[in-house]
Amino acid sequence: MQKRIYTLIRDLHLYLGLFCAPFILVFAGSAILFVHSWAAPEGEAASPRTITGVVAPGNLASLAGRARVDALRGVLDRLGVQGEVGFITHMVARHRLLIPVSVPGRETMVEINTETGAATVESRNTGIRDALVKLHKAPGPHLADIRMNWFPMRAWQWFADGTVYLLFFLSFSGIYLWAVLRGERRVGLALIAAGACSFLGIAYAICR
Amino acid sequence: MPSADESPRSGVAQAAGLWNRRLHWYTGLYFLFFLWLFSFTGLVLNHPKWTFADFWPARKQSTFERAIQPPPSGSDLVQAKDVMRQTGIEGETEWTKLRSNPNRFEFRVSRPGHIVEVAADFERSRATVHRIDVNAWGAMRMLHLFTGAPAAEPRNQRDWVLTTVWALSMDALSVGLIVMVLTSAYMWWPQRRKRALGLAALGAGIVSCGLFVFVLRWLF
Repeated sequence: MQKRIYTLIRDLHLYLGLFCAPFILVFAGSAILFVHSWAAPEGEAASPRTITGVVAPGNLASLAGRARVDALRGVLDRLGVQGEVGFITHMVARHRLLIPVSVPGRETMVEINTETGAATVESRNTGIRDALVKLHKAPGPHLADIRMNWFPMRAWQWFADGTVYLLFFLSFSGIYLWAVLRGERRVGLALIAAGACSFLGIAYAICR
Repeated sequence: MPSADESPRSGVAQAAGLWNRRLHWYTGLYFLFFLWLFSFTGLVLNHPKWTFADFWPARKQSTFERAIQPPPSGSDLVQAKDVMRQTGIEGETEWTKLRSNPNRFEFRVSRPGHIVEVAADFERSRATVHRIDVNAWGAMRMLHLFTGAPAAEPRNQRDWVLTTVWALSMDALSVGLIVMVLTSAYMWWPQRRKRALGLAALGAGIVSCGLFVFVLRWLF
């Protein structure tokens, strides 16, 4: 019985670890980019497109948050712009609507003149580095009311959360698999103690 | 010892296999607490509506004024460090406002768990210190984000030695995780019976992760 449990946990550790390996690499690689502020260079911008006859929803000024994003989704679809909508700026007096839309690796700014119905769409490829950083930060704590308004980014949230849950499983199952190996216990315990001391020591020094 | 389904390996390969396994175990065990902190706080950051970790309403604030000697002339950082020394503040300096009056100097000092706003008036030789202390949830969350050099604000550079130590810990954890992934692949590949299922699991991970990193911008 115990051997079967051991075999099951070992296999789950292996296969689930292999599945989430690419996600771990993405989070680890992008963390290094963050720590050193290695921001992505400004990407190349495509020539802006101008579209006329764009009609924004009439009740836009009365909408806020997610309702405003949802109301504009149809307009963006007609303009051929898809992605995660960011913070929308509505300058009512100037009849301007600024809608940032992002896909990992590309940013698009849509500007609509609500009076004339003219829209300008300007896209910029920001590259892999920016994609990694964006994915690391998504969904994140900001703009909680509107974020994850595009299905692929909602799916990313499931994968990001799933990676954390799998990491917990992998660490606990890893401890179990190590504990079974009697010959490695002493070194392992010393390393856990060293890791705990360095973690708690640094955290205490920083937070005290 | 290699298991029965492993490919036959030379002595050197066996030794490499053993040390690869040890590297996997040792790296994982050493970074356990770092990994748990960043995993858990990452989850909490992604779920701001989880009320149990909502630390901001429970913050404690205090304000005091202290006499200071105007710092010697120098860069903003040199002057800020001097004011911090006089007011007994330690942490990472952040520039919050552009300085228009040379006798007025405002900046923020932060460290996980504490945020201190300093407003110094060199003419009056006084500094007003507004301190915000957050609870353990807030400190943990700040640890996740504490790099001292946000990419969006190039004016802010890492200037506290403990920020550098923490940033190096983040680097070390990242490298450790990459090592864990590579060593696991090295352990798995010689096990022939597990290759097919392992390839399926790894392939599913590569396809789903690659979809977000590389493919989305081509699709949409």
